[in-house]
Amino acid sequence: MPFRKYCCITCDTVYDEALGWPDEGFGPGTRWEDIPDDWTCPECSASKADFYLLDA
Amino acid sequence: METIAIIGAGHAGLTLAREIRQQDKSVNLVILSQEEICAYYKPNLSKALSTGKSPDQLITKEASQLEAELQCTLLHRVCVTRIEPEIKVLTYEMPDETQRTLKYDRLVLATGATPMPLPSHVADSAQLLAINHLEDYRKFRNVLNTKKQVAIIGAGFVGCELASDLSSQGYQVSVIDRAEWPLNRAVPEVMGSAIRTALSSHMDVRWFLGKTIEAVDRLNEQTIVRFSDGFLLAADVVVSAIGLRPNTELARQINAQVDLGIVVDAFSQTSIPHIYALGDCVEYHGSPLPFISPATHAAKALAKTLTGQPTELLLPSLAVPVKIGPCPTLICPSLGKRGVWEVQGSGIDLEAHYLNEFGQLTGFALTGKCVSRKMELARQCQSVASDAPLSLAS
Repeated sequence: MPFRKYCCITCDTVYDEALGWPDEGFGPGTRWEDIPDDWTCPECSASKADFYLLDA
Repeated sequence: METIAIIGAGHAGLTLAREIRQQDKSVNLVILSQEEICAYYKPNLSKALSTGKSPDQLITKEASQLEAELQCTLLHRVCVTRIEPEIKVLTYEMPDETQRTLKYDRLVLATGATPMPLPSHVADSAQLLAINHLEDYRKFRNVLNTKKQVAIIGAGFVGCELASDLSSQGYQVSVIDRAEWPLNRAVPEVMGSAIRTALSSHMDVRWFLGKTIEAVDRLNEQTIVRFSDGFLLAADVVVSAIGLRPNTELARQINAQVDLGIVVDAFSQTSIPHIYALGDCVEYHGSPLPFISPATHAAKALAKTLTGQPTELLLPSLAVPVKIGPCPTLICPSLGKRGVWEVQGSGIDLEAHYLNEFGQLTGFALTGKCVSRKMELARQCQSVASDAPLSLAS
């Protein structure tokens, strides 16, 4: 499955599965579903559920 | 049909509208604002230069898109002049000065906060720029166009981010504060010093700390800042970023309880029935919390309360990133103020814990490589928060 991108509804921060988020402890290739539900947006602290899938 | 009116279209007001709409498709939503309504992420105002964005590129949603998504009425550039809680009617003034009224069932004050002015004997506010919304920021960028030297009064969150943003683009930046170190109310001295050193050695920011300003005057094309020790500092542009004051005028008008900010209960209700408040105009735990995250949480809980599921607001620990180019910084302010700092690490890689009188972690600040410790510390902080839930003023 190709990597996807998710965008925070509050601050527009994008999580790119291909890049992961090393500062947050998620290596490149970390799938969205593998990110814990209590993880919050590093920029604005919105919840994981506040991210929406970006069209490829 | 029921009408919920929201005064204010900043992050708090718009997030509330979005969350209400998710729960309830039929309630009538009206949002009133003194500005032209659009969605943007306010913390980006102090990062736009280094991210290469013009003021217009910061807009994430235009009014037409908001109206379509939220199925709401947006009233732009109107000023609410009167609220009559007994009959649930508010009066607002249109841009052409005509007065109109709106009947509401529930009213939410999301009126935000205004930059604090310098004392009037020190500076005429016309000489200083304060940046608190997109329109201010447009003005700032226009003024900045041909200028080189910028002085920033206030070394808090906004002052430090602006200094980093401007100096990364070659502006000569001076930062002035009465305190001895930047971010002095949010980080311990050793960390503030590390931030100061990083900004002056990597980015050429000049600091004027522990300084009191006696006067700010115009001289030809420049602005001159005069300190109480006689030192003079000249700049092309002076920005004031000394803090925010909650907008509480409307709440005072209706005799709602107001202290530093509007006082609300655990359900975000003011002391006046059917009138609620959230965001930067409110005080949480006795002090204003002018950050994105508490407003988001308050909006979510209040949306549930207003749509039939009364929901108490519990504020988890909130970590605020401060974008200081050469020194990544993350601050989780403590809600309790009686505590001590404990710091470990070296250079710019520092981890500071704020411990309350029982030795519990109630806040923290991280710089450099230590910012990666955020999740772990936030969880520890959260457990303290859930042991002792926030008792909001009643």
